[in-house]
Amino acid sequence: MVSTGEETRKFQKELNSGTTALVLLGVLDRAAEPMYGYRIARLIEGKSKGTPIMKQGALYPVLRALESSGLLESEVEPSVSGPPRRYYRITEAGRQTLEKWRDIWIHTKGLVDTVLQGGDR
Amino acid sequence: MIQNIEQYLAQLKKELAGCDRATIQDALSDAEEYLRTALNGDMADTTVSEAEALSSIIEKYGTPQEIAAAYREIEGRLTPALVHIKTPAESEQPVKKDERSFLGKFFGVFTDPLTWGSFLYLLFSLATGIIYFTWVVTGLSLSAGLMVLIIGLPVTGLFILSVRGIGLVEGRIVEALLGVRMPRRQLFSPRNLSWWERFKNIVKDRQTWLSIIYMILQMPLGVIYFTVFITLIALSFWGIAMPILHLGYDIPVIYINGIHYYLDTWLYPFTVIGGILLAIITMHLARYIGRFHGMLAKAMLVRA
Repeated sequence: MVSTGEETRKFQKELNSGTTALVLLGVLDRAAEPMYGYRIARLIEGKSKGTPIMKQGALYPVLRALESSGLLESEVEPSVSGPPRRYYRITEAGRQTLEKWRDIWIHTKGLVDTVLQGGDR
Repeated sequence: MIQNIEQYLAQLKKELAGCDRATIQDALSDAEEYLRTALNGDMADTTVSEAEALSSIIEKYGTPQEIAAAYREIEGRLTPALVHIKTPAESEQPVKKDERSFLGKFFGVFTDPLTWGSFLYLLFSLATGIIYFTWVVTGLSLSAGLMVLIIGLPVTGLFILSVRGIGLVEGRIVEALLGVRMPRRQLFSPRNLSWWERFKNIVKDRQTWLSIIYMILQMPLGVIYFTVFITLIALSFWGIAMPILHLGYDIPVIYINGIHYYLDTWLYPFTVIGGILLAIITMHLARYIGRFHGMLAKAMLVRA
């Protein structure tokens, strides 16, 4: 028998690999000023209800990947206490991409909801 | 249980063994930023020990194993600046292998941005080489000379810090022009050390000395790169421009002891073709040397 816990973890992981990038772009699109990793992680933690869906450390590699594909840009600034911080900001290409991703998300969400609720409405 | 941040970073580094060195450096500095910021916040208002506070922070951040897995997964997607950035449309297609014929590859060298990046880098390396060399030689001799005085140590410390900084900047140039991924940020040294301990660490670090050797080497290498490539490009243009120089401006091939030497007219097509071929070969050579120099920079400037 396949353990359901393993399957659930795998499902969560696969789901996260797409949504994380979308969430990060969304957060930085709304942010009034550039944000560094820790603050982004805390902001997302504050918005998520119940048990966290992913480790906060997993956000960082996604931030770097988004930057290397030109959707985000960043700069390092020294902080008063502690190590220097890398501040991320969304680029114009990032905004355009977010627009497309938002449409895809709404479409997908609608489809999944319809199917799970019976689909006869 | 993990007692302090250094221990966490050491474990993370072990978990990432085998990854690209630049990825490891990025992962370590990301982890350090999060853990230190979080720990500063948590320790300020409670009386728990560092280890206790850290364990709940790690619970949120992820264990070294989990974090290593996340970086490994994303590593393939991180591409250096000039190599190839996928647009959304492209990323939907499977990665194509270079299927151009030998001739296509041979003549297509001009369309590859990496070629021009390498070529520019090799020409610039004369200037950067001279700057690095002067800086290092001045810094080293100044540090050694002032060592007998009280200001000797601060001068040495500042000099070594500047070497680290320049190493990082050189890394950015190498990544942008040669397409070799280099670290984006400096690793932090442990924070709870005295100035003296930090100084000793940075002086004992192999990386510091490798960076210094790299900066000294850059000068002779820069001179060689510059001379070779300027000569090759000048030769190609000379060949290509031969008919115009002869027929249009009456400039001879060579001028010795008052005698002008000209080529026969039937040789013109050969000099033009030869010049074009030489230009293409020069560009291929620039790519190879660029790749070699990128490997050298990575070996010397990135902490293993």
